[in-house]
Amino acid sequence: MSGALPAGVQVLDDTTVETDVLVIGSGAGGATTASVLAAAGIDVVIAEEGDWVEQGSVVPFSLDQMDRQYRAGGVTVALGFPSIAYTEGRCAGGGTEVNSGLYWRPPGELLERWRHDFRISDFAPDDLLAIADEVEQAINVRTVPAGHSAQSEVLRSGAARLGWRHGEVPRWMTYPHGDDPARGERQSMTRTYLPRALASGARLLTRCRIDRLVMDGGRAVEARTTLDDGRSGRIRFREVIVCAGAIHTPALLQRSGIKGHIGRTLAVHPTVKLAARFPEAINVPDDVPVHQVKEFTPHLSFGGSASNPGLVALSLLDNWASFRRAVTDWPRMSVYYAAITSEGTGRVVSLPGMRDPLVTYRLTARDKALLGSGLARLALLMLEGGAEEVFPSFKGAPSVTSRRDVGTLSRSFSASRASVMTVHLCGTVPMGEVTERCGADSFGRVHGCTNVRVNDASLLPTAPGVNPQASVMMFAIRNARHLVDQRSSHVR
Amino acid sequence: MSAEHRTTPDTTVVTGAAGWLGRALVHRLLDDPARTSLRLLAHDTAEATTLRAFVDAHPASAGRAVEIVVGDIARPDTARRLLHATRGVTDVVHTAGIIHPRRVRQFVEVNAGGTRHVAEACRDLGVRRLVHASSNSPFGTNPDHADTFRADEPYNPYLGYGISKMQAEVAVLENVAAGLDATIVRPPWFYGPFQPPRQTTFFRMVRTGRFPVIGDGQQRRSMAYVGNIVDGILAAELVEGISGRGYWIADATPYTVAEIVETVGRALTDEGLEVVPNSTRLPVLAARVAETADRVLQAVGLYQQQLHVLGEMGHSIACDVSRSTAELGWVPKVSLHEGMRTSIRWCLDQGLEL
Amino acid sequence: MRPLPAPPVAPFAHRLLSDDLPDLADDRREAAVAFVERRVATLPSVMRLGVSVLAVVFRAILALPGGWRIARAVLALPLPFVPEYPRLVRSLAYAYVWETWPTTSPTGAAR
Repeated sequence: MSGALPAGVQVLDDTTVETDVLVIGSGAGGATTASVLAAAGIDVVIAEEGDWVEQGSVVPFSLDQMDRQYRAGGVTVALGFPSIAYTEGRCAGGGTEVNSGLYWRPPGELLERWRHDFRISDFAPDDLLAIADEVEQAINVRTVPAGHSAQSEVLRSGAARLGWRHGEVPRWMTYPHGDDPARGERQSMTRTYLPRALASGARLLTRCRIDRLVMDGGRAVEARTTLDDGRSGRIRFREVIVCAGAIHTPALLQRSGIKGHIGRTLAVHPTVKLAARFPEAINVPDDVPVHQVKEFTPHLSFGGSASNPGLVALSLLDNWASFRRAVTDWPRMSVYYAAITSEGTGRVVSLPGMRDPLVTYRLTARDKALLGSGLARLALLMLEGGAEEVFPSFKGAPSVTSRRDVGTLSRSFSASRASVMTVHLCGTVPMGEVTERCGADSFGRVHGCTNVRVNDASLLPTAPGVNPQASVMMFAIRNARHLVDQRSSHVR
Repeated sequence: MSAEHRTTPDTTVVTGAAGWLGRALVHRLLDDPARTSLRLLAHDTAEATTLRAFVDAHPASAGRAVEIVVGDIARPDTARRLLHATRGVTDVVHTAGIIHPRRVRQFVEVNAGGTRHVAEACRDLGVRRLVHASSNSPFGTNPDHADTFRADEPYNPYLGYGISKMQAEVAVLENVAAGLDATIVRPPWFYGPFQPPRQTTFFRMVRTGRFPVIGDGQQRRSMAYVGNIVDGILAAELVEGISGRGYWIADATPYTVAEIVETVGRALTDEGLEVVPNSTRLPVLAARVAETADRVLQAVGLYQQQLHVLGEMGHSIACDVSRSTAELGWVPKVSLHEGMRTSIRWCLDQGLEL
Repeated sequence: MRPLPAPPVAPFAHRLLSDDLPDLADDRREAAVAFVERRVATLPSVMRLGVSVLAVVFRAILALPGGWRIARAVLALPLPFVPEYPRLVRSLAYAYVWETWPTTSPTGAAR
């Protein structure tokens, strides 16, 4: 066990819990929501399905971490042709505890497009950017203090040679050990917004899975839970805010019988990868490169992935017979990705009698062509960044050592034979006033319900084309403040 | 324009001189009195005769040293014969190639094989610079209609032609690695005077309102007026220090197919022709079917031009010329509307029916 | 909801790993297969159901004489989702092997 839990955090033990506002999920959405509400003096209980795991008590990107901080050990898949593997954080702090930590403000044109296409009211860019400033302070968004890792440098130098726009992406980190870049501390929710929420009096119940909400017409009456030992429990509340992530928020709403535009428009960033080998040792097993190449924004972006030996082996898996010879070279290898914005869409469907929903995703022909083009451009970037040999992660891929080989890669690529994955999931309860497209209103109130809100990545109407955490937090704070304002105006 | 220029060579050699781009280039070279000696390659004696007549018709051709050599570029000895004993400093512009063959294997023989022979001969015989006329084909089509090809892109050859043109570029670059001074220019869809009969069909289709626009016509296409391409070739020939580089040579921005059809319609009207507004729209599916059929045919070594062109019409082929401008000091001078008008006038002057 | 029995992937996983990584020591292969079983037991319900069906089918095939040959032939067929079964087993097993013993050779030998 990782030691004593912080004050205000306990494993769910009571079969009856009462609170004013129940927040389901403690990730980027749930933690910020709880923090805003608790600071306003509202009684908040946060229900977290996973455990509280301290930063530093697990090796980042290890199988142990996948077991303790990810849903289903990290093995979650959106079925399709091809299927798309994804991951969900399942622990206090959710995805923020395990993600790359890369922070991107949502681009202005994107916010405007969302505002316009989904008719989101009171969505002024200045207000949102003011919240972004706050968030950046609170989680200490900053760049790496000293020189970049060799893995990052590959991206930087390759892009520079090709004349492609690139840059270091800031992360939420502190460097308390004299600015030593190798000893940064990630400013995830367990380090930032959760302690704030707890200090303001919120309670966090871990190993608390919400089975369903009991509805009376449009009003949620209580939440049913199952405790660790199998007993059933209930949590009573006046309002409930669902922040269980883009897969489990719609699943929970569906299980609770709530109808509407929920779970029909899953949006992701389909991603393909390759492994590249360099002349010298390059692999820093528990860190991720901070450089991204943004020349082809928004439809295409390149960056680095976690590259410990297990993950390097995985990247060679699709073509194991010809690529396995490289696995012992992992100290000189690093895994990189090409991510696209997708024209396709997916669905989350809760099935009766099944604990987890069916998740599907369909890539369009353009998506598949773009994945191939992205991977080819990435391979070229690797060669220009000094790679000796590049191993693209699809069945039938050639190993690449020259530009002519990149041509072969382009011609032999097929998305159906590739390992396609996504680390970002959004869009399943889109926010706005367009009733045929939105599951929640401009402030996250679920259409057709009186006291149920959503406040996580499900609200983002489309996949943003950048790491979404900043957007999730900005919206969550905005919407939580709206709730607080509503409450105080009622009291008056 | 800070690009440093070399002096005009003593001898300029042009392959494919009787072709579309070749003749436009030869015409410009004859315009320049500093180009004292030209050596032109014609494919056969019939072509040599028309080429000679073309040269003689140029006002500045009297007394100019213009030698015409006959030979098939696909044969290994042709390039060496062509470059044998040229006078003084020699630059070579290689435009010989085949775009719409009868059999697919001609792509490899002429485009890939021919270019390799030229590149090797240039290297062995001390040519100062080789400019190779490539195409967008080694890079395929844009994966998304908002995407644009940058100066440096991965190869993604589009069928037989693309593969052969990719192999041609690889042959040039391999010789550069072995000491050859060479640059590559990549014009996409080009148009202008000296165009072959198939382009006349293009004008006729627009004039009669029957140009097949696929879907919403928002596919983006870069276009290049042949005069602008010649400017680009000359810059790629004479700018110092750019060996091994490849350059997109096209208009400053890509156009949508709908814009192209509208502009050409206007140009036709401006040249006094009656134009029927375009009403022909084909669903995207039609282009996909044509593309599949094209693929199948090419896989068995056959080539059908209309199918190929229709298959390509559903795609975007858009490129970014900013590096060409920055490094070559070259800008596209003639706009689409003006260029199309000049083209149309040239066709009418030739007695062609549009 | 009563927990369903874990998908019986062990026979298939053993055979697959023996084939893929012939030099992997027996005890290491056992450990890898055990890891695969543990992870497969916690798959989300829909996936778990699919994997259970495939696991049962392949376990039955493997019990036949010449079963592994038949299994490989089935895996080579262009069926939807069936190739994802060995892929799942491999990705779990290889991640385990190379994380636990990073100097393992491409055929599974200890270094």
